[in-house]
Amino acid sequence: MAQPPLRIGHLYAEEMNIYGDRGNILTLSKRAGWRGIDVRVEPIGRGPSPDLAEYDLLFWGGGQDRDQELVFADANEHKLASIKEAVAQGSVVLAVCGGYQLLGAYYVTAERQRLPGLGLVDLHTEPGARRNIGNVLIDVPGLGLEPPTLVGFENHSGRTYLGANVEPLGRVVKGAGNNGKDGTEGVRAGNIFGTYLHGSLLPKNPHFADLLILRALARRAPTELAPLDMSVELDAHQALVRRLTG
Amino acid sequence: MRQARLGPRGGAALWAGKLTALMSRALHVGGGTTLPGDVSRWVDRRILTKLAAGLDGGSIVVSGTNGKTTTSALIRHILDSQGRPAIANQAGANLIFGVTAALVDRASWSGALPASIGVFEIDEASLPLLVTETGPRVIVVTNLFRDQLDRYGELETTAAHLRRALTQGPEGVTAVLNADDPMVAALGEDLPRVTYAGVEAPELLQPQLSHGADAKFCPRCGSPFIFEGVYFGHVGHYRCPRGDFERPTPEIAVTALEIDGIDEMRLTVRAGSESAAVRVPLSGLYNVYNVVLALAATRAIGVPLREAAGTLGNFAPAFGRLEKVAVEGRPAVLLLGKNPTGFNEVLRTAIQFGKGRYFLLALNDRIADGQDVSWIWDVDFESLKGVAQHVVLTGDRALDLAVRLKYAEVPGDRIEVVTGWEEALSRAAQATPEGETLFILPTYTAMLELRAVLTRQGTLTPYWR
Ligand SMILES: [Zn+2]
Repeated sequence: MAQPPLRIGHLYAEEMNIYGDRGNILTLSKRAGWRGIDVRVEPIGRGPSPDLAEYDLLFWGGGQDRDQELVFADANEHKLASIKEAVAQGSVVLAVCGGYQLLGAYYVTAERQRLPGLGLVDLHTEPGARRNIGNVLIDVPGLGLEPPTLVGFENHSGRTYLGANVEPLGRVVKGAGNNGKDGTEGVRAGNIFGTYLHGSLLPKNPHFADLLILRALARRAPTELAPLDMSVELDAHQALVRRLTG
Repeated sequence: MRQARLGPRGGAALWAGKLTALMSRALHVGGGTTLPGDVSRWVDRRILTKLAAGLDGGSIVVSGTNGKTTTSALIRHILDSQGRPAIANQAGANLIFGVTAALVDRASWSGALPASIGVFEIDEASLPLLVTETGPRVIVVTNLFRDQLDRYGELETTAAHLRRALTQGPEGVTAVLNADDPMVAALGEDLPRVTYAGVEAPELLQPQLSHGADAKFCPRCGSPFIFEGVYFGHVGHYRCPRGDFERPTPEIAVTALEIDGIDEMRLTVRAGSESAAVRVPLSGLYNVYNVVLALAATRAIGVPLREAAGTLGNFAPAFGRLEKVAVEGRPAVLLLGKNPTGFNEVLRTAIQFGKGRYFLLALNDRIADGQDVSWIWDVDFESLKGVAQHVVLTGDRALDLAVRLKYAEVPGDRIEVVTGWEEALSRAAQATPEGETLFILPTYTAMLELRAVLTRQGTLTPYWR
């Protein structure tokens, strides 16, 4: 039986793509493509939404502050119902930086403007006094990742706080993470993943890319992923781990 | 000789700066390009204003994301040929300290300056301060691209710095703006004196906006621009679909161009009824803009277009910008790439015009490079696929480049990661067969490292004096 295609929706591809988000999309599509899986990536812009439950994986990245306001408003007006439906039907969501902040209840800008988020996960974001900028290493237990670490680069002034019953994506080994205080980084809730890590995130974390692909495909039919050589990617991963812990 | 009025404090500042420069040279520490500026400013924070007042002919300042160094070098070359040598800051020393250091260095111990005009390249964030302190005659803005986000914040912030600088310029200042970059053109809207420069060669417009293009939306209404096409990045012919913002018609424009490999390009430049032919030993569309902006800037201070154009035949590229060197006997070209648009353009120049097939790519993540290497994912390394015969990767983040090239589907057996600058240069030269040219594409600090090796090997002279 032919494998169903992997359908990826890149939300706000034009507005939110400043931190090399193309690397994330490229990694997902190549790693699926190299396994013979047909991949379709569709940009989803502002305005009325297509049926997002059609997509196996929804991705959105970080934007400039001005674009972020536009996106928050548009997402609430046009995308909210459709995203909730997609999540209910098992679509995987990966949201990075600004996209991550949008997952929560609200986001307060540096100008103290309160932008309502999508409320998909119990978290919120407050402005911080200075930007957290630098390489990040987190431990990610419980997802079966080998190695059980993610590496990336963070650059955010927002401080994100998770609700009491929400699980972080990982624990900070090096860097600031969600808020620089509680040692948490990112969020995971079912198939929803949010994180401040870019750099880009997925190219240097191919094991996490594969986890997302597997979960996205599994939504349609039980699936296994053929192994791929990831020595080039893991060399870059481990070099950064060594640099940050050495 | 012109005498600046420094006063006792200014005089002390000048001496302190000059002594610092002497000492750093004697000790061979490379800080000679900015440290004297720091010291002088610490003694008298008005030292730059006092020294710059000695420039009777005023100054031209050049800012923007890419092209500052080459545009400034072209302007200096034109002025030199006119018998008006300029005082300029060293390439790369483009913060306020670097400009101060340049004037401190060139001034005599009594504060006399050996030239009457200044040409300064300046970081976008430092432009407002430089304009306040020196009151230039001409401010050139080359373009505005996504740069090193961890250092500069966002593009909007950078545009705000430039806007502030342009609106607070002295009376009579001329802004020379790139008409084809929407974010730069928008800066000219309320200014009293603007010269727009651009390219009118529609046959060279490309339909696609490349990845990482930045100015896609109208600054007035936020609608996506309609691009008739782009020459590179988001630089091209555009208009807002609602009609409230469009590309200004350039007053000085390149109307025809021919690029002959990496050795020379021939341009026709028009300004009103004047027209001039230019031959210049540069290549690449981004350099076409550097040339037309330099011609616009010198024209703004009274150098006739034809005279200026006629001088460019023996222009020597600024260091690291299409600089020709030899590595173990192989011809090689250094092409600095600092950000996605810049790197895309040097790649395109190497491949399309230079017919390059052998490469050395060097990626660092130090402060001057940007510590966040995300940007390599916005560079179209896909253009190396099917072209590159051998690629050596080096630098602090060579392994990230290896991942990038893997996802660009450049065959792994053509890629070699080499640790060590000397080793990487050597390996890349050995892999380049006779008759071929090695193209070296480094980020900023990687370029300094590679040049240091080449200097030790006797191929280059040090760039700081
Ligand atoms: Zn408009």
